[in-house]
Amino acid sequence: MGSYVLKRLLLIFPTLFGITIITFIVIHLTPGDPAELKAKAGELGAKNPLTKEMIEETRKLYGLDKPLHVQYGIWIKRLVTLDLGDSFKDSRPVLDKIREAAPITILLNVISIFLIYLIAVPIGVLSAIKRRTFVDNLLTVVLFVLYSLPGFWVAQVLITYLAGGDYLDIFPAYGLHSDGVGAYGRWTWLADSTWHLVLPVFCLTYGGLAYLSRMERVGMLEVIRQDYIRTARAKGLSESVVILKHAFRNSLIPILTLMAGLLPALLGGSVIIEQIFNIRGMGWMTFEAILNRDYPVIMGVFTLSALLTLFGLLMSDLMYAFVDPRISFEESEGG
Amino acid sequence: MATITVVAVSFGACHLEQVGRHPTDWLVERLRGEPDTLNPLTSTDAYSSSILDNIYEPLLQRNRDTLELEPLLAESWDISEDGLTITFHMRKDVRFTDGTPATAHDVEYAYRKIMDTKVDCPHQRNYYRDVKDAKVLDDHTIRFTYKEPYFRALEICGYTPCLPRHLFEQEEDFNKSRLNREPIGTGPYKFSEWITGRKIVLEKNEDYWGDKPKIKRRLYKFINLDSTALIELKKRHLDLMGLRALQWVKQTNKPRFKRAFRKEKYYTPNYNYIGWNIRRPLFKDKRVRRAMTMLVDREKILKTILFGLGEVVTGPAYVNSPYYDHDINPWTYDPAGAKKLLEETGWADHDGDGIRDKDGISFKFEFLISSGSTFADQLSTVLQGELAKVGIRMEVRRLEWATFLKLIEERDFDAVTLGWSLGVETDPFQLWHSTQADQGSNFVGFESEETDDIIVKNRRTFDLDGRIELMKRFHAILHDEQPYTFLFCSPSLVVIHNRFDNVLVHKLGLDVREWTINRAWSEE
Amino acid sequence: MASAGTTGRGYWAETWRQLKKNRLAMIGLVIVVAMFVVAIFAPLLANDRPLAMKTGDGWRFPAFKNFLPEQWDRAYRDTDWSNPEEKWGTIERRIMPPVPYSPDRIELSQFYESPSRRHWLGTDDRGRDLLSRLIWGSRISLSVGFVAVGIAVLIGIPIGALAGYHGGLVDAVILRIIEVIICFPTFFLILAILAFLPQSIFNIMVVIGITGWVGPARLIRGEFLKMRKLEYVEAVRALGASSARAIFRHVLPNAVAPVLVTATFGVASAILYESSLSFLGFGVPPPTPSWGEAISQAQNFIDAWWLTLFPGFAIFLTVTAYNLVGEGFRDATDPRLRGNEGEK
Repeated sequence: MGSYVLKRLLLIFPTLFGITIITFIVIHLTPGDPAELKAKAGELGAKNPLTKEMIEETRKLYGLDKPLHVQYGIWIKRLVTLDLGDSFKDSRPVLDKIREAAPITILLNVISIFLIYLIAVPIGVLSAIKRRTFVDNLLTVVLFVLYSLPGFWVAQVLITYLAGGDYLDIFPAYGLHSDGVGAYGRWTWLADSTWHLVLPVFCLTYGGLAYLSRMERVGMLEVIRQDYIRTARAKGLSESVVILKHAFRNSLIPILTLMAGLLPALLGGSVIIEQIFNIRGMGWMTFEAILNRDYPVIMGVFTLSALLTLFGLLMSDLMYAFVDPRISFEESEGG
Repeated sequence: MATITVVAVSFGACHLEQVGRHPTDWLVERLRGEPDTLNPLTSTDAYSSSILDNIYEPLLQRNRDTLELEPLLAESWDISEDGLTITFHMRKDVRFTDGTPATAHDVEYAYRKIMDTKVDCPHQRNYYRDVKDAKVLDDHTIRFTYKEPYFRALEICGYTPCLPRHLFEQEEDFNKSRLNREPIGTGPYKFSEWITGRKIVLEKNEDYWGDKPKIKRRLYKFINLDSTALIELKKRHLDLMGLRALQWVKQTNKPRFKRAFRKEKYYTPNYNYIGWNIRRPLFKDKRVRRAMTMLVDREKILKTILFGLGEVVTGPAYVNSPYYDHDINPWTYDPAGAKKLLEETGWADHDGDGIRDKDGISFKFEFLISSGSTFADQLSTVLQGELAKVGIRMEVRRLEWATFLKLIEERDFDAVTLGWSLGVETDPFQLWHSTQADQGSNFVGFESEETDDIIVKNRRTFDLDGRIELMKRFHAILHDEQPYTFLFCSPSLVVIHNRFDNVLVHKLGLDVREWTINRAWSEE
Repeated sequence: MASAGTTGRGYWAETWRQLKKNRLAMIGLVIVVAMFVVAIFAPLLANDRPLAMKTGDGWRFPAFKNFLPEQWDRAYRDTDWSNPEEKWGTIERRIMPPVPYSPDRIELSQFYESPSRRHWLGTDDRGRDLLSRLIWGSRISLSVGFVAVGIAVLIGIPIGALAGYHGGLVDAVILRIIEVIICFPTFFLILAILAFLPQSIFNIMVVIGITGWVGPARLIRGEFLKMRKLEYVEAVRALGASSARAIFRHVLPNAVAPVLVTATFGVASAILYESSLSFLGFGVPPPTPSWGEAISQAQNFIDAWWLTLFPGFAIFLTVTAYNLVGEGFRDATDPRLRGNEGEK
């Protein structure tokens, strides 16, 4: 097993390499030149000699005048020292920008994932126990309906009707803090943040409930049929104990392995929710970077996210194979 | 556990009502986006200019009612006989907010930086293209010399800002100076703080040399969605914001709203248009362009999707300026007339495929719009429908800004819709001179000897009536040629909280600095 | 081994039997089929052309010709249907489709109308009838779903089969490629690619499909790996039959079921993707009617509740239906869940 882990860890490098190369090529192929964009922002269509020279200067500044492979080489070299370069837009180090934006996204996603698990797992269990009954059907429909509602739609509806203006005014309409909350104590700050988080977290959470609870349901159903459950029953334990203790624990296994796969979501953020709620997280930052052709930021974020994903995949495969010894490591890579 | 959370949250929610509100002597304004930088030379976005106007001051300002240039940091000025030399005499009592006196050296420094190619401000440099040099004669006198006489010379030189040279020079790279995040100027407000992604705060400059403003503190909050901004306004978290037409007409009329807020509507120099790429065979003939204009029902569009807020315009000057010829009537919406013109120019359906053609080319083209604009979206579909009825196939291509810009740069488009924001004085050189067709802002490629002449002559004409005459002739030519289908001049729609008094609408709009606060005002 | 056989017609008959027992899945199936019908017959349901009209020289059926491509539909496309008499002379009788508006018909003076007798679901920001746009929009949503998933499956199955069948180096390389694709924030890749492809509904579908092939690929690969271990494949091989054919004949039918499940979920998520792209401004080019475009208009004027509610309803109905069917399939084909009617 140790050699397998080592092999996978080493394999991360070529994969990462592949990802960075593809990202690099794709962003350079996309029309739009960051130097031109900056120069042009002030005057649409102006391209007189002075401007051309300025664009050249900017390109030199950004290192865009060098041939592509050289640019890539420079970036890789910087990467080794964990230097992700400076953003084109405001010249701040990419790492700083990520450090600012990541905690917000991570916070939102961690809370959301936690809530999804908290709510979805019991629902899945209930659904499995009451398979094909009215309760199961009702839960299924409700969950699928929730899944089918587009995030931005729900967000706009919630903000309009619950966040003030002409209708109810229960929640804040955007952001993560009220203005001036710094003047108050720590408890007020906590309450204020929680209050602001309710709507965005809700929007991030409701869609994931369906998937996870279905997985849990299938997992439970599978396990309930196992032989050893029958054996436990034969021993005379009451049915509910049987279900709870054995089936539940075993059904959690695939669910837990899923969690590792959720690691990349922590960095991905949700572009749409962040846009609507004016939250400056990773999703927002990356979206803006793409629109502005801010190459260093794009490369930095994609690389980091890829690293986390690869790591998460490895963890998930390991857990899966570990937990079910019938599956060999190779097979787990599909799971 | 869940119940505890809910209780805590609701408890907090009630208590926090207070937290969101701000003191009455602050003014909270909404900005749609966050400035990139607060450096007056390198900043290129619209958001920073309103903030910077409160911090940095130039030599002259425009009177909001008479539109004349009047003294600001410069007490007086002399212009030479030939118009080429302008000497400004600065006030002696101006200081930066760190106490240092402001001198002519600071203005000269700004000029030098603008012309420095290492400084990231090509758009500014363009304006100073015809300036020969700027010389400091003494601590409070600076002289600008022009290469050629230009009627805007006074304005351009007069708008040179006064930068704190002593602070900027301490740093190596002007583009990356820390003053870009913490500006220090001579103006009525001084910078207080900038919380990335949230807001910028300005405080009243207690040592300001001129009339101190009454409002102690000004906050600018960045809220990207218009719908969210309106909600914040209604929650009294904002005092001032711009509205879209739809919000103005449909969402700001309840009695409760009207008691707390006032709405002001006023025009600023701007217009939007459809630009036809004259280089393309389709749009070479001006009769075809005229036909296209006749297929846009501007009156109807204005009345419906713009809710009647705006005016149809026919030419390149600001509709409320003396340069605009109101005797020129717009080409009316006339599909029959358009069809005739198309037939006249040889565009008819020769091959029976339902699309007009000529010499083997089908009348098919692509219309470019930028993905941020709902109006462009609406306009393009309306136009598409109208053109289809007369046998013209138009495809709409919606692009995000970077790609959109690129295509325009490369003149790789058939037709596009955009808008221009104008100054009080405009010099059509940049937009309309033939030399600007390949390299400048004349991206539709309009060229005419007569207009070139007019433009060049206009630059040298210092007499207002002379310029008016030239510009009216210019207007007439463009009306005949239709390089653009001129669309509308749109008003600014602003909403202001009622506790502010002395809110006057000048020709140039609102001037927050003269507002006062009525502390006794209450919503009942 | 499952009692109802693992391959052949018996397998599918058994699947269908299982599926029928699942009431929700059947409801979903009915809705899916209904959507199909609506999409296919859109020109007869919502059109400003009459279904039938009697002109001076007899009866004509303009709406039906809408199914044909342009070249054969010339005469009717050229007609200005707000004033058809101009082209066709007096029209004595006219039978209109139930929704007498085409999705492109702009009527500026009727913009943002709330639902009324004239426009049953109201109009959008350009005076286009919403119901008509939703009906025609079903074509877009369904084709986005199917083309995207179709491409994903067409690419994914062969690649997955390749990886699973050969194993070893081929498998390792393909796995790495799959990892690379998974690591890419899909949404951003779509945005980046859409930035430089000409904007068209087709390109959107292709891009969603190309980024989605990893799902089916991994599934097929998994099935192949499992099959390689099963005894009877060893036995077949020992008997001398060409191992390739053996594996394919026995593996693929089994693998189809999970792929089908993924496919139905894929259609649902492709529809949601398209609406998110429309919201961000990267969706279908105007004037294409799509549910995503209709719903994204709501953000400009949230008081136009009909623009929020009805497209949302269409999306939710379709997506939910597909998911129910997909789940039903999964339940019906899972050997571990089949054949246990005796248990509670």
